[in-house]
Amino acid sequence: MRSLFSLFLFLFAAVVSAISASGNRLLVILEDVAEKTNYSKFLGDLESRGFQISFEVPKSESLALFHLGERSYDHIILFPTKAKGLGPNLTPNILVDFMNAQGNILVALTSDLPTPTSLVSLLAELDIQLPADRTGLVVDHFHYDALSSPDMHDVLLLPPPSATTRPDVKDFFGAGAGRDDDIIAFARGVGAVLGSSELLTPVLRAPRTAYSYNPKEQSEVVDDLFAAGEQLALVSAFQARNSARFTLVGSAEMLQDKWFDAEVSKVGEKKAVKTFNREFAKRVSGWTFNEIGVLRVNWIEHHLDEAGATNESNPKIYRIKNDVKYTISLSEYSWTTWNPFTLPGDDALQLEFSMLSPFHRLPLTLDAAHSSDSASAYSVSFRLPDQHGIFNFLVNYKRPFLSNVEEKNTVSVRHMAHNEWPRSFVISGAWPWIAGLGVTVAGWLAFCALWMYSAPVGGKRESKKTQ
Amino acid sequence: MSLGFCFQSSFSANPILLFAGFESIIHEFDPWFNFRATKYLVANGFYNFWDWFDDRTWHPLGRVTGGTLYPGLMVTSGVIYHALRALTIPVDIRNVCVLLAPGFSGLTAIAAYLLTNEMTPSPSAGLLAALFMGIAPGYISRSVAGSYDNEAIAIFLLVFTFYLWIKALKQGSMLWGALCALFYGYMVASWGGYAFITCLLPLHAFVLVCMGRYSTRLYVAYTTWYALGTLASMQIPFVGFLPVKTSEHMPALGIFGFLQLLAFLDYVRSAIPSRQFQTFLWLFAGAAFGLGLLGLVIATSAGFIAPWSGRFYSLFDTGYAKIHIPIIASVSEHQPTAWPAFFFDLNMLIWLFPVGVYLCFQQLADEHVFIVVYALFGSYFAGVMVRLMLTLTPVVCIAAAIAVSALLDTYLSVKSPKPEENQAVEGAEGKKAAKSGLKATNKPVVGVYTTWGKGMIVSALAVYLLLFVLHCTWVTSNAYSSPSVVLASRLPDGSQHIIDDYREAYQWLRQNTREDAKIMSWWDYGYQIGGMADRPTLVDNNTWNNTHIATVGKAMSSSEEVSYPIMRQHEVDYVLVVFGGLLGYSGDDINKFLWMVRIAEGIWPEEVSERAFFTPRGEYRVDGEATETMKNSLMYKMSYYNYNNLFPAGQAVDRMRGARLPEVGPTLSTLEEAFTSENWIIRIYKVKDLDNLGRDHSSAAAFERGHKKKKVTKKRGPRVLRVD
Amino acid sequence: MRLLTLLSLTLLGFGSAPTLAAAKKTPEERFQHYHNKALSSAPLKLADASYRELTSAPRDYSVAVLLTAMDSRYGCQLCREFQPEWELLARSWTGGDKKGESRTVFGTLDFGDGRDIFMSLGLQTAPVLFLFPPTIGPHAVASPEPIRYDFTSGSQAAELVHSWLARHLPDRPHPPVKRPINWMRWISSLVILSGGLTASYAAWPYVLPVIQNRTVWAAVTLVCILLFTSGHMYNHIRNVPYVAGDGKGGISYFAGGFQNQYGLETQIVATMYGVLALCGINLAIKVPRMTDPRTQSVALFAWSGVLFVVYSLLLSIFRGKNQGYPYSLPPFM
Repeated sequence: MRSLFSLFLFLFAAVVSAISASGNRLLVILEDVAEKTNYSKFLGDLESRGFQISFEVPKSESLALFHLGERSYDHIILFPTKAKGLGPNLTPNILVDFMNAQGNILVALTSDLPTPTSLVSLLAELDIQLPADRTGLVVDHFHYDALSSPDMHDVLLLPPPSATTRPDVKDFFGAGAGRDDDIIAFARGVGAVLGSSELLTPVLRAPRTAYSYNPKEQSEVVDDLFAAGEQLALVSAFQARNSARFTLVGSAEMLQDKWFDAEVSKVGEKKAVKTFNREFAKRVSGWTFNEIGVLRVNWIEHHLDEAGATNESNPKIYRIKNDVKYTISLSEYSWTTWNPFTLPGDDALQLEFSMLSPFHRLPLTLDAAHSSDSASAYSVSFRLPDQHGIFNFLVNYKRPFLSNVEEKNTVSVRHMAHNEWPRSFVISGAWPWIAGLGVTVAGWLAFCALWMYSAPVGGKRESKKTQ
Repeated sequence: MSLGFCFQSSFSANPILLFAGFESIIHEFDPWFNFRATKYLVANGFYNFWDWFDDRTWHPLGRVTGGTLYPGLMVTSGVIYHALRALTIPVDIRNVCVLLAPGFSGLTAIAAYLLTNEMTPSPSAGLLAALFMGIAPGYISRSVAGSYDNEAIAIFLLVFTFYLWIKALKQGSMLWGALCALFYGYMVASWGGYAFITCLLPLHAFVLVCMGRYSTRLYVAYTTWYALGTLASMQIPFVGFLPVKTSEHMPALGIFGFLQLLAFLDYVRSAIPSRQFQTFLWLFAGAAFGLGLLGLVIATSAGFIAPWSGRFYSLFDTGYAKIHIPIIASVSEHQPTAWPAFFFDLNMLIWLFPVGVYLCFQQLADEHVFIVVYALFGSYFAGVMVRLMLTLTPVVCIAAAIAVSALLDTYLSVKSPKPEENQAVEGAEGKKAAKSGLKATNKPVVGVYTTWGKGMIVSALAVYLLLFVLHCTWVTSNAYSSPSVVLASRLPDGSQHIIDDYREAYQWLRQNTREDAKIMSWWDYGYQIGGMADRPTLVDNNTWNNTHIATVGKAMSSSEEVSYPIMRQHEVDYVLVVFGGLLGYSGDDINKFLWMVRIAEGIWPEEVSERAFFTPRGEYRVDGEATETMKNSLMYKMSYYNYNNLFPAGQAVDRMRGARLPEVGPTLSTLEEAFTSENWIIRIYKVKDLDNLGRDHSSAAAFERGHKKKKVTKKRGPRVLRVD
Repeated sequence: MRLLTLLSLTLLGFGSAPTLAAAKKTPEERFQHYHNKALSSAPLKLADASYRELTSAPRDYSVAVLLTAMDSRYGCQLCREFQPEWELLARSWTGGDKKGESRTVFGTLDFGDGRDIFMSLGLQTAPVLFLFPPTIGPHAVASPEPIRYDFTSGSQAAELVHSWLARHLPDRPHPPVKRPINWMRWISSLVILSGGLTASYAAWPYVLPVIQNRTVWAAVTLVCILLFTSGHMYNHIRNVPYVAGDGKGGISYFAGGFQNQYGLETQIVATMYGVLALCGINLAIKVPRMTDPRTQSVALFAWSGVLFVVYSLLLSIFRGKNQGYPYSLPPFM
């Protein structure tokens, strides 16, 4: 009942703020507020999706991400700035705190300006490395835009990211771009190298022939290569354990109006095509600001699944070897609505029943009876192990680009009570003993009766004793 | 009437002493669990208590509490509580629990009175025994108000069972034997020390048989007791089939069989009066006894009968526990007893005790043999284990009472003998009595001639007795009536200062943490955290799972990198340590630390090594010279974290161990300090969650402190490429 | 590669002649050589050179070496206690593994034979048990350094060392320790037993009165009780010293502190308890049985006087153990 009520509450909330699953206060940091005209289409798109945008410059006095310990904004976009640092209000620690408070950040870099140090150290904490001296430029002598950079080769033309090698990852960024001539233009951007952190996922990788160099120091000869090929991540996504999202876009220019409308042509092809940048920017920002790929656990229910029992919901305690049923309801947010969550590809949603280590690890199957238009229920029935203790129902579903689901419900599993064992007369092996019991009792009674009725013969013994 | 006085005195002496200092509070460690269990019993009824699965201890294993405790104590107070309620006396269960021990100490005094009266015709002996029993510090330690422990009722049951046994033996009465079995069953339900009775009664029977005192009285008393008592004891789930399966119960079974054999032989002997046949029969009996013993040994080695439990075994092979079961050896109550402890607990009774035992040799009836056997074994066990002083105290009181009453009876009689009469009698009677036992008692009693001699002895005795009362009062008020959760100290000006850190910390836990926050601490504090803070614990004083305790020991004695996964796996939220360095409190965790290491080493000899905590010169140090393993251990870090800040730079001192600590204190990255009590005795740390950004804790903590991550531009070895 | 191995072996061997010769052998040959030797006499008696050769890396076998000092000059009690256990372990292991499947060699290096090794290892104490794990082959470990066995808790039974070895040599056969049946001991104990039975049968008429004598039993009982109540078991378990110096050249009879005691201390206390008990017994039993009034008065006075003084002394000793104990009797205030 309670879960149903909360479900309605959630639905209601979803209708009211149909922009992002987590608030609409967006802060944009720019070198100069006037610069926002460069990004007018990108920001206009965001505004039309319901975000309330505030603009600030990094060194501004009034800039504060927290007010009385609460976040003042839900999301931040950091466009490139000239200064070496970002001032006392945007130190890496504050940005980390912002993420720990479930705020989302989108950072855009450019090769024209060195990256601010505070961003570099923030990225280092996320296991993302930038080129040395905070400057780098990604070039590709095979996949450049023949129209805009015939000499510098620093505008890369890339196909939209397709579903990566993993079949269990949902394709959020390239899906629907079916036409072959959808092309993303990545202009004068910085490539980053991602560490092996499992929270990091590259969204857009450089082509095999791309490399990164420092145009200031290595203009003549590239001796110490920072990174090349697919190791260079141009757009990368980071999702913290609390599902706070962070996106690094290597090229701020690709979000600018000029690249939204520009026409580009690949090397060797005469035909100029319109870029896919606007749609791609929408998807990247939409993912970062919790508009897509957000999972929600509506309710979790487990109960005794045995005939004749009361089978109330979510009891605190079970008995060993009980049959139980566990159901979890999940929804996925997609731009404006909560939809039922369907598992991608051949992925499986698993339930662990664990104490210290899992005793069961079972796949949850779609339960149509409890699903609705906005939520899908997954359930599994199983028998509890023959071990008492404090167990957890644990659903730990963490996939790239989907917000984390880690749901732990603790129940106690008790031992058999003294009156829950089969009675002795039910066990056939006990019958000889029960029979023995009866024989002993009968024999004792018979002996007593015999003793009582066989009185001593009389005077003989009496007289003996007296002697 | 005078008995009533004794009862009253022993009942009223204790709580008054207690309440003088502190409010009504449960003491020590175990009583906290007993109190909690009693509350559960009262709230949920007997059957739920019987099937109680406690999910707030031994996280995440839980404890089948109903089946692993001795329910006698809880059921007793539950019955009293309901009886008082039925009489419309509104009483709180806590008050029942707090006052149960003094109440039962009164009953113990009565039982001691009855038992002593069986030993000697002198009427004063029983009263003296009751008095001694009421105030002897060795027993008062468990009978003060608030000491809500199994022993509180078990000692009464012990003495009363012995009384019933003597009664049954003397009269050869099945009724008394059955009563004895009944109280034996109650004893089994109350305390693990029931094995003392289980072994002492067959031993007594065996000694009697060896002395050639087999009788039908013995047969009736013993068989009645054994058959009914064993059945009664098997009703307790915790005991179950142990009486027929383990070695410590085998003597009782063996003697039972032996007595059957003897009874049979006795019958045959009375039927066939032939001397040769008798000799043959006795040989037969001896052979049967030997065969039975052999069979027992074979059955034990073949595994049909479980060998002695470690705790029991360590009583005989005194070095056993230290090597094989450190968890038993680590308990302070299981240490051997030094002589000052004997004198402290028994005072002048300790030297009156042999006198009384000697007096028992005078007549040496069956019941006196019992006292002798009890005295011998009781004093042996008390010497091996401090806590068994408790089982020795009753026999000491009884023997001493016999001695004092013999003295008083002799020297208090007003009648003085006339010298001439006795000189004449001496020659005649001297030879007659020569046969009976003791050489000293060959001559007849004459009496004391001089009045001044009588007066001197009586007044000296009075002085000793007064001194004894003073001693008992002093010991009780100083040592036994202060609950160990509250420490009392004296300020320089002589006023009393109460150190209440334990309760402060437990109260903090109760009010500031989630209700299901798991607290990890060393097992000593488990019951108190469960009782006072009402939070789940990992291990507690019911040390049933050595591996789980060793896990906690390993977490405490390893470095943070090793401990953190253990704590995550066990879902630990807070870690509690006791630190006495600031106050000079000796019972702290650093002093217990080696036991944690040893217990952990017993399970993981590869990962934890006691040797690594000692400097190359074999010292156990905590200062700058401490070993790296010591300095990196979680326990060390938690104890001394931020301790430096209390002192001027470089002058931090551990007052307990008198060590100057290194200038730079330890750093913690996986834990954060949550609470430190007023005198730093209790320190509580919160276990951090996994880092939100996926970093390891040490680099996350370094980032928090403002260190920038070192740039990894200098590449060493091949670059690690990302593959996905 | 082979050349390198040889070179390193030569370097390890410090150029001593026998090592050089042995260095030509492969680890396999070395193992066979020593294993065959060991089959006849385990553990091997090693010297400087053979120790170096046996333990030199690379090796595809494990070596367990006991470094000991058996000569009575060094007074190593532990060495002599452990030696038979060690020999038993080595014999039964080698005997149970004739084919050398566990690839383990047992050796003993006495200080007299291998002074240089002791010096180079910087060993100050003996015995030391090293286990050299294999450095090549299927069971190779990363570090060629030996593993040291801990002798901290006194002499060890062969079984304990065996389990330690087994723990460090996983996935290999571990021949169990076989204790030989000690026939001599059985025979001698049987003879003693039967002799004792005969003797007791012969002496029965004389022994029986003693056994049946109540005074003897009473005395034995009282002595036991006095021993136990004066903390004898504590001495037995804790191995406390008999007496200790007081730091000023004298002897302190009483240990400081409530939880400590010396051996002599408990004997003094037991004696005092005994005297007190004797006084009590005499006052309760003997004195009222005296027929002569004068003797009785003297005895009464004497016994009660002794009782008083000794009790006073006992209280004062206890005050010394437990600071702050307030009660005392004259004359020892």
